[in-house]
Amino acid sequence: MERALFLIFALTAIVAAFNILLRRHPLHSALALLVVLGALTGLYILLGAYFLAMMQVVIYAGAVLVLFLFVIMLLNIRAEEARLERRPFFRWLAVPFALLLGAETFYLVRTFEENPSPSGTSIGVTEAVGRELFTTYLLPFEVTSIVLLIAILGAVVLARRG
Amino acid sequence: MESLGITYRVIGPELVLTVTGVLVMLLEAFSPGKKVRDGILAAAGVVLAGVAALALWDEGPVMAFSQMVIADGLRVFFTLVIVLGTLLTILVSWSFLDEERIPPGEYFALLLFGTVGMTLLVASNDLMMLFLALETITIATYVLAGYRREDLRSTESALKYFLLGAFSSAFLLYGIVLIYGATRTTNLAEMARIMSGPLEEAEIVLLMAGVAMLLIGFGFKVTTVPFHVWTPDVYEGAPTPVTAFLSTAPKAAGFAAFLRVFSLTFAPLGIESAADQLASHWVSAVTAMSILSMTFGNFVAIVQTNIKRMLAYSSIAHAGYVLIGVLARDWAAVAFYMLVYTLMNLGGFAIVALWARRGDKWVLIADYAGLGFRQPLLSFPLAIFLVSLAGFPGTAGFVAKFWLFKSAWGAGFQELVLIGVLNTVVSVYYYLYVVIVMFFREPKEEVPRIPLSRAFMTTMVVALVGVFYLGLLPTRVFAFLNAAQNLLAIGAR
Repeated sequence: MERALFLIFALTAIVAAFNILLRRHPLHSALALLVVLGALTGLYILLGAYFLAMMQVVIYAGAVLVLFLFVIMLLNIRAEEARLERRPFFRWLAVPFALLLGAETFYLVRTFEENPSPSGTSIGVTEAVGRELFTTYLLPFEVTSIVLLIAILGAVVLARRG
Repeated sequence: MESLGITYRVIGPELVLTVTGVLVMLLEAFSPGKKVRDGILAAAGVVLAGVAALALWDEGPVMAFSQMVIADGLRVFFTLVIVLGTLLTILVSWSFLDEERIPPGEYFALLLFGTVGMTLLVASNDLMMLFLALETITIATYVLAGYRREDLRSTESALKYFLLGAFSSAFLLYGIVLIYGATRTTNLAEMARIMSGPLEEAEIVLLMAGVAMLLIGFGFKVTTVPFHVWTPDVYEGAPTPVTAFLSTAPKAAGFAAFLRVFSLTFAPLGIESAADQLASHWVSAVTAMSILSMTFGNFVAIVQTNIKRMLAYSSIAHAGYVLIGVLARDWAAVAFYMLVYTLMNLGGFAIVALWARRGDKWVLIADYAGLGFRQPLLSFPLAIFLVSLAGFPGTAGFVAKFWLFKSAWGAGFQELVLIGVLNTVVSVYYYLYVVIVMFFREPKEEVPRIPLSRAFMTTMVVALVGVFYLGLLPTRVFAFLNAAQNLLAIGAR
């Protein structure tokens, strides 16, 4: 059962990832990205990382992707499409990168048995995350609030009417 | 509560700065536009943070907040350098805020929050903390760089800084993740302990990849070649007081973190260990970065016509010199260098900011023609700062370089020191060129008289006294740094 679910989610993620690259319209690519993120959520649940799965939905599928869609619609990228297509230089650049990625995958697959994934740990569960967040990572957690404050202040400063 | 390691004294400087920042921001919201009040409040907060940092001296090396932060000699000294940089930046910004009609509250608040990030970066004892502190700095400085919104150059500068900054942050974060994968910790003290033993081969590979990424990220933040491409454009486009700030305090903080991670945590032990396997690689990478930064920075600075760009390339070259100190693993020499660099660079930029006037218009080196005897209170200090940047004896720049090169020579980096000295000779050309233009070239048009504000005069007095004091009588600061070295951290060896 778990294996079947893993295969379904993994294949969906891979197919959707290809879809991101192959679609011409950026809006379609963004929606394909949504599918990838959804499939990854399923994988996280299979790993027992429920908190991570929830965050994946809330932050990536919820917030980041909506932002992507907004930007795409606001910019109306359709007009740019033709220009972005013609970049032969980048196409040649793709070859060495594809080879590198292939080599990495090969290495990973070969050494897979030696380094089993750390499934079965309770790292991604809400309680464990909450406990860590308010004990070990208390100070970084508080500093995040300063980062957010600066971001708000900065946005106000830059968007202010002259 | 004891078990969580919550000790407020250890984050005293950060607390003071944050509270002051929030206070300045709130005051601006309720009664806007009071520059003198906001400025004095910000300056007072910064000074108080310096006092709080000095108070950490008696605590000895101590870690707090689950070992997230550390209070040791390195932190205390670098916090003082940062505090000095921010204080001088507030003074340099004084007349700029009036000229550009910028609401002072937000400006000072951003400056203060950025400073919080810097002091936290210096205090970080955990890669997680380090990353957050870096983000705090960069987000504040992105906005500061784009402060003159109606100016195309300023907006371009902010956008370039933002994009490349985000790019480098991604590298840094990826590096941290890989290092975590190899050592299963983000804590630097714990990491040093793990790396003093052997690691599996797969873990070593992971560690190397992570450290390489970390090096790229840091390389961006402290402007070293080949990760320097953003520097000249950002320094040129940002408002001059902000450029002054960018080139000093955040850089000092960046080098402090660089030292803590590379010179202290990843230091070779001379025994069979993961640290030693790693060290030979990062040492050669940093050596290459250092040589490239010095040579490229100095040679490209020669052909610049814009003084802000020239100082940007000079800043890249100085980052190259400082990397020699990182390699020699002599953090005290680096700390002293950054103190001196902060004084002379901020002093120099104060004059550049004043002379550039409203809208940053007079920034070409040719614009300085005839300044010499017509406004000696501008030209003589600028000449002194430039001469100090070049490293003439009698000025602080000489002492700082001498100490840096001496300790690198002792640590076995003779070739690097030779390259550094040759580069210093090259740098004399473009620093002195400005002096020659100021004193011996006739101006094309009438040279205006610029009124000198009290804030400007204070900056000059502080920077000049600093440059000569550290240049002629540096022994007391040396003694302080030596004492600080004994106060070095538990995690560090």
